[in-house]
Amino acid sequence: MGAMILFIFYGSILFFILATTLRVRKSMNAPIHLHWELYKGSSVYELTEWWGKTGSAFGEKLWPMILDILFLREFYHRNRRFWYPLYAFHIGLYLLILWHAWLFVRAVAGGIETVSIFGWVWGTFSTLLAFIGGLFIFVMRMTDEELKVYYPPIHYLKWILLLVTLAGGVYAVDVHFKSSMPALLKYVREQVTFADFGHKLHPALGPALHVLFASVWLVYLPFSHVFQLFFRYYHYLRWDNVPNIRGSEIERRIKEHLERPVTWSAPHIQSGKRWREVASELQQTPITGSK
Amino acid sequence: MRPERKKIRLKDISLRTDEPLTTVTANDLMPLPPPLDQREKKAPYSPLSEDQKKSYECSLDGVSALALPKPKNKEEEEKLVERFLEGLRKLLSQNDNWLFWQPLIHSLESCVRCQTCSDACPVYVSSGNQEIYRPTYKSEILRRIINNYIKKRGKILSKLTGDDIELNWPTVARLAESAYRCSLCRRCAQRCPLGSDNGLIGREIRKLFSQEMGIAPKELHDAGTVQQLRVGASTGISSAAFQGMVEFMEDEVEERWGKRIKIPVDKKGADILLIHNSGEFMSWIENPVAFAIIFEASGVSWTLSSEIYGYEATNYGTWYDDVQLARISLKQVEVAQKLNVKKMVMGECGHAHKGLIVIADRILMDEMNFPRESYLPILEDLILHDRLKLDPQKNSFPVTLHDPCNIVRLMGIVEPQRQILKRVCPQFREMEPHGVENYCCGGGSGFAIMNSMNFKEWRENISSRMKLKQILETFNDVLDPRIKKYVCAPCSNCKGAIRDILASHDLWEKHGIYYGGLVELVANALVDMKKPFIEWEWH
Repeated sequence: MGAMILFIFYGSILFFILATTLRVRKSMNAPIHLHWELYKGSSVYELTEWWGKTGSAFGEKLWPMILDILFLREFYHRNRRFWYPLYAFHIGLYLLILWHAWLFVRAVAGGIETVSIFGWVWGTFSTLLAFIGGLFIFVMRMTDEELKVYYPPIHYLKWILLLVTLAGGVYAVDVHFKSSMPALLKYVREQVTFADFGHKLHPALGPALHVLFASVWLVYLPFSHVFQLFFRYYHYLRWDNVPNIRGSEIERRIKEHLERPVTWSAPHIQSGKRWREVASELQQTPITGSK
Repeated sequence: MRPERKKIRLKDISLRTDEPLTTVTANDLMPLPPPLDQREKKAPYSPLSEDQKKSYECSLDGVSALALPKPKNKEEEEKLVERFLEGLRKLLSQNDNWLFWQPLIHSLESCVRCQTCSDACPVYVSSGNQEIYRPTYKSEILRRIINNYIKKRGKILSKLTGDDIELNWPTVARLAESAYRCSLCRRCAQRCPLGSDNGLIGREIRKLFSQEMGIAPKELHDAGTVQQLRVGASTGISSAAFQGMVEFMEDEVEERWGKRIKIPVDKKGADILLIHNSGEFMSWIENPVAFAIIFEASGVSWTLSSEIYGYEATNYGTWYDDVQLARISLKQVEVAQKLNVKKMVMGECGHAHKGLIVIADRILMDEMNFPRESYLPILEDLILHDRLKLDPQKNSFPVTLHDPCNIVRLMGIVEPQRQILKRVCPQFREMEPHGVENYCCGGGSGFAIMNSMNFKEWRENISSRMKLKQILETFNDVLDPRIKKYVCAPCSNCKGAIRDILASHDLWEKHGIYYGGLVELVANALVDMKKPFIEWEWH
């Protein structure tokens, strides 16, 4: 049992790193798509001879992205009722992630006997915030006619698991470690420094369960929406003003795709030829219903 | 009191019945403001005839946009379902669908079902929140078909992610029709906090049916892109007929406004090749005439083209087919190259703006990557730099602006048209909401030209209803028919859709609400025009 917990915990960290890397790679290597853009307001096309006056920089998108992720601005402006619990949950979660990072650093930094009550307050407050937000979201998802629409069963299970994980955290810290930060930090230090394997192989139920649930979340995280939020800003997906200039990287990538074969089967397509040929040749067969 | 409505579940899309899942009734419709605030008694669209029902699929809502023939037997049904699945596999393949793979996958994966987008959709709201028109409805069905029939995740995971859709012919037929109940205005995508684009998913479904199964509305394909590639214009205008129209335009200008102008055609080396939607020549010739008068008055070096493909800005491929989109874009650019002009400029046609300037940006390579821009910044420059002598008092009547989705939300041209209107129309007033938050005219994505069976009624009474509401609210203090009012719609298809909703409610006759383009207002304000350019004659 203990060995399994150990395997799951460290394995999930490895999985998280691997899956995140693969996910990022998959997105980076995705074929560049046609320029199918939406605009929040005025764009470069308001200018005469716009092709010489454009280029949206990395930095220009960075700040709006940070604000969007930090404050869930789009939900705030467009679905305020849902934003309240969503924001409580997310801000709790962000604080909780930071708290865990602090725990790791503080645990190896030494002097854990002198740690102040502040660490406990931070962790408890973050957990409560995330729990209350999550609980409200769960209840809204169960009761609100709009939020119930098309919401698949797996997501209800996800929320239950999340609430159990958060409750498990409170149990581990406040019942098992009796709200003692030095005791908690000592445990964390054992995990981070790979010390005391005997202790690890026979873990106490409270921390073991919490670690197990946290591992499930580590496995899920690379597939969560946080990553999609990032990609939509940085993969020509939204608010993208970068035109295709002759000799540019965009042109080079598109040219590669134009050499791909066309496989679609409708009569007007000329399947089997390359995109470049199909687009420039005009042997038309009108559609007259299905083939 | 409204009777309790039957709840539509996702799995109902597979029901083996010819009865529509929903039929929208007069009671369902979103109420309109005065003077149309009396509840309509007439149904928003007529039922199809018994013969039509026997021949065509209409089991989504009793409307047929596609004139999709019913399969003759079970084998044919199965074959069609198999071909749909084959097309779906291609849609999800990076190799087969590199042109839209990434935004499609992002849109399929990122939706959290918060339904924030629902209220953004004019069709959903106008129809009284019909489930089948919810922006996420067709997307969720597609997502579940993918989960169960493409990804094949196993029983438990399928159950947990929703395995309630049976993939049969009724599902495929209803999904095809549902892609033509969304005008691709992408207001829902703008609203989505996660960036999921249900408009794109709708277009991808249209594309699957066209590129794999050869199924598309005849108005868009046979009489649209195919005709354009064969004769040069989707209206069927030949090069010779076009040249005759130019002569007619010159004579009209002389006869009506006492000015003889020469409209340049095929002028090599001109600065600008101006391309209009050829529908303007057929229905609203005053629009290209106004352009000619303005460009002549400002001394711009410009030309029209009489070359095949050179007098037609439309590209219906933008709405349903990547191959047709690419073919037409390339043909249009070839004309500009031959004429050796400095740049191509789109006239008042929204989807031509989006299609050729924005989307084709990643189709046109090397020398085909030809400078292309909108007429709006050019016109704004002419006016702001006083290249035209204007008297705004000539336009002293209430004017409002309809923002074509393709030009504003989908392209980011928001301010030039407002700067122009503020200069030439002292009584300009915005409709609400406007700019990138605008509502579609209801004629987007081909709807304005799709008139088969009962589709036109559906468009006028459901798809365009929100625009009608906005127009009435904007002019609610000046409904007296003696006060002439002008809805400025700088896009050919929007103009057609707005014409139809104004006409079907007699709003010109009874309340003096007229419509037209933007350049007509500029021509009307020209000091040198001895007679008013706008003649207030309904057409």
